[in-house]
Amino acid sequence: MLRNLRLAARMLSKTPFVTCIAVLSLALGIGANSAIFSLFDQMLLQPLPVPSPEELVNLGAPGPKMGSTQCSQAGSCEVVFSYPMYRDLERTQTVLTGLAAHRAFQPSLAIDGEPLTGQGVMVSGSYFPTLQLQSAAGRLFTVADDAPVGANFVAVLGYDFWRDRFGSSPSVIGKTIRINGKAFSVIGVAPKEFSGTTLGVRPTVYVPISMRAVIEPGFTNFENRRAYWVYVFGRRKPDVSLAQATAALNALYRPIINDVEVPLQSGISNQTLARFKARLVTVNDGRQGQSSTPENAKTPLLLLMGVTGVVLLIACANIANLLLARGAGRAAEMGVRLALGATRGQLLALLLTESVLLALIGGVASLGVAHLTLKFIGTLMPSNEVGALVFELQGSVVLFTAALAVVTGLVFGLFPALHSTRSDLISVIRAGAGQLTGGKAATRFRATLVTVQIALSMALLVSAGLFLKSLMNVSRVDLGLRVDDVVTFGLSPVRAGMDSTRAAVYFTRVQEVLAAMPGVTGVTSSRVPLLAGQSWGTAVHVQGFTSGPDIDADSRLNQVGPGYFQMMGVPLIAGRDIAESDLHGGARVAVVNETFARKFGLGRDAVGKFMSDGENDSLTVQIVGLTPDVKYNSVKDTIPPVFYFAARQDWSIGELNFYVRSSLPVAQVMASVRGAMKALDPTIPVEDLKSMPQQIRENVFLDHMISILSAAFAVLATVLAAIGLYGMLAFSVTQRTREIGVRMALGADAARVRAMVMKQVGLMTLVGGVIGVAGAFGIGQAARALLFGLEGHDALVFSASVLLLSAVALAAGFLPARRAALINPMQALRHD
Amino acid sequence: MVATATPLIHMQGITKVFTTDEMETHALQAIDFDIAAGEYVAIAGPSGCGKTTLLSILGLLDAPSGGQYTLAGQPVAALSAVERARVRNRQIGFIFQAFNLIGDLTVAENVELPLTYRSDLTPADRKDRVARALGRVGMSHRARHYPPQLSGGQQQRVAVARAVAGDPAILLADEPTGNLDSKNGEAVMELLQELNAGGATICMVTHDERYARHAGRQVHLFDGRVADAAASVTAMA
Repeated sequence: MLRNLRLAARMLSKTPFVTCIAVLSLALGIGANSAIFSLFDQMLLQPLPVPSPEELVNLGAPGPKMGSTQCSQAGSCEVVFSYPMYRDLERTQTVLTGLAAHRAFQPSLAIDGEPLTGQGVMVSGSYFPTLQLQSAAGRLFTVADDAPVGANFVAVLGYDFWRDRFGSSPSVIGKTIRINGKAFSVIGVAPKEFSGTTLGVRPTVYVPISMRAVIEPGFTNFENRRAYWVYVFGRRKPDVSLAQATAALNALYRPIINDVEVPLQSGISNQTLARFKARLVTVNDGRQGQSSTPENAKTPLLLLMGVTGVVLLIACANIANLLLARGAGRAAEMGVRLALGATRGQLLALLLTESVLLALIGGVASLGVAHLTLKFIGTLMPSNEVGALVFELQGSVVLFTAALAVVTGLVFGLFPALHSTRSDLISVIRAGAGQLTGGKAATRFRATLVTVQIALSMALLVSAGLFLKSLMNVSRVDLGLRVDDVVTFGLSPVRAGMDSTRAAVYFTRVQEVLAAMPGVTGVTSSRVPLLAGQSWGTAVHVQGFTSGPDIDADSRLNQVGPGYFQMMGVPLIAGRDIAESDLHGGARVAVVNETFARKFGLGRDAVGKFMSDGENDSLTVQIVGLTPDVKYNSVKDTIPPVFYFAARQDWSIGELNFYVRSSLPVAQVMASVRGAMKALDPTIPVEDLKSMPQQIRENVFLDHMISILSAAFAVLATVLAAIGLYGMLAFSVTQRTREIGVRMALGADAARVRAMVMKQVGLMTLVGGVIGVAGAFGIGQAARALLFGLEGHDALVFSASVLLLSAVALAAGFLPARRAALINPMQALRHD
Repeated sequence: MVATATPLIHMQGITKVFTTDEMETHALQAIDFDIAAGEYVAIAGPSGCGKTTLLSILGLLDAPSGGQYTLAGQPVAALSAVERARVRNRQIGFIFQAFNLIGDLTVAENVELPLTYRSDLTPADRKDRVARALGRVGMSHRARHYPPQLSGGQQQRVAVARAVAGDPAILLADEPTGNLDSKNGEAVMELLQELNAGGATICMVTHDERYARHAGRQVHLFDGRVADAAASVTAMA
């Protein structure tokens, strides 16, 4: 084995240029796979770092939910429970060793007077015991810390926060920190590897879920069975199967639904009531925690894994071709070895050692490629998503890389090795030179490899073209807004301990301070941040629109500051903008968009009509303006019906997002905003400060990421395929030197010889191209959900890809064809 | 050197037919042929007479189409590929016309090569055998060199060392002087004679009568048949 390794190293070092090209190809192919695998692993494969994660189960409560529903990154609105239902199940269930509840929140933290932002999770007392975690310092919550409601001002810190902010000092235990303005005592630190149960949320702090009303003043839904906001998971007892757990939990759930909750429902049709009565708890594998990220990321990641897999296949085809060519030069050596008594197995071991060594060197180099690719992907992702993932090489990725390298070396070294060690070697020994490589099998294999490379490249080029065109369509979407020179940020004074009445005064002051900053030409605000992926919806009552059971009366809403539409560059169709005079206590006003007016039968006569939101059917809000449809929370989504209330008419608003238009450079405006807000109130942190173009880019980051990565990988694949085509043809010309010499001696001119080689190129390109186009058609259909504004069979993209690949193939074939045409017949006839 | 009566190699009725789509070529026909241990036999004949085909069959590189071949008392027809490789490795030493040294291995590594395919030798045993083999052909001082750094004659000496390193039952030499000038050719012939004098059994294929006369017995082939057998120095017992 050692001898084989030594010989393999010697062989590779003998042709450093070729080895470097091979290693580079492999490094790019394996590295791209490792980088995407790193994300795949983190999002879709890694279990929670807790004992026996396979015992964890996620509970869901699908079915109609009348009342209010709050869902978040931990999962869809289908799976949330009401708090009383969670407590009922927790108290009565017997098939689980624990049933835990959690919900993320946005905390405003203050430590020794210094304001900080972070992420928080409200958890039940059973949360840490169910996960079977031990604290890194102090202690974790127990059931006793979670009752009664509003009584336990205790907090557990996330490990990273403890390490970074407190230098891992044990003296933090007992320290008081302020969470949303309330004093909490730190009782412990979560373990090192644990960062919550929701991918995308890395908690800075954990508080008991029973403290929600304390950290979110005004929350009153602990007893409300029609308020769904709790995410629930449990741990199966070791001898209980998933099916048994499901059956046992439903045996408890169904009576509660039918006996306790059905009587609470009103104003719904019999059909909806029947569906409500039929609701069942779902119990699913919970080893990866609860998060909507895997579901959202699955398709793009699978697509990118497929793309990088294809890139690796193309790189490996080059390696196989290289090994075949190298095997040709060593045919005589293999013959000698066989004649001296080597078995075929021994020679296979030798050759496979070489290919595996080559792949391993490529694998080591690929770690650098993977590292850089991950860093690059990190720059493509929005800042709030970046924190959820690790863009470093983890142990699992290194193992994956090593395994991939070994498999690559074995699989793609096998045919060349088998071919080079064929037992019919007597002629080689007689002649003393290798004639094996001219064998039809090897020639066919090499041509097939190159044809497959062309097919795969074609498929990748088309898919990359589709994504690039989709991205172009996304970037051309008319948002209906003019926000190029606008900076946005959020403020949450209520979370810093300010009551909402004072907050309203504070927000007015903020508007004044911002408007007075040098270079500022406009300021406004909104409760729901514009184009940030968040939305807020409610049912409405509209003058002239008949509501009733099962009639869709839902609309999105926002609360906005004075001059909102003017500031955003939206010319109103009718009526007026939200004005400075629309204040608390005055007549309530609204602006609605065209879709709203259409949905609720208002048409162009919306202005002057009355409406109301929620279950209030008093129609006390007058519509004063009709706005064109402008994008709400997503660049790509269809614009929903939206109504806008005046933010200053609602004194319960605890947080607002501000927009500042300025002619000054963005960085300068941001610095001014930070300084001005700190001077106004240093205890209230500025959140998510960024330019609106950046916010819009982050809104479509997935399109950017898929387009850029797939384009980069497609270019890489095409270059690799071109190298493969060039190498195959160059080798073929060398092999056929004597034949070409004979042809020329018999009267073939240079053009005919050139045409002979180019015909070979044309045939492989044609066959590979047709197969590739067929494959690309399939990919286009499969990726339709990720495309925007085009079909998966876009003719322009397909045509451009065919032209591009044909040009690359012809260019790759030109040099060998030219070399063939320049062969001197006299020299060629002496060629051996 | 007087040969013993027990044949090391016994061939009876050996035929070899090469078949293509269009025709059959009878390369060897009804070859009856023995080589005794310690004998030095030259197989001679014009180009295309079947010399190399016969040597390939003798060396288990090729199988006959018919007839019986016994090597050291063991019929070889039914041997598997692995068993044939083992016989080639342990009992046969090859010397090729084109030397067939591996350019990426040093002289010592080339000589060691057949020994590395054996599991019964320790690294120390192998080194010892390599040193002795190189000593026998006078190439010890070139052990660390690579084949391209040697002259043709020196390369063939190394090839002889490689052939004898495993103490095979027989040395098969295929035109061992074919790629050498006359001076180096004579030197290699002398080396083979020395080896034979030391007890080595040798079977050499050559088309050159001058070199064939170095052997103790000549077997002439013509059109795939044994034309005659003549003793050069000592008659067969």
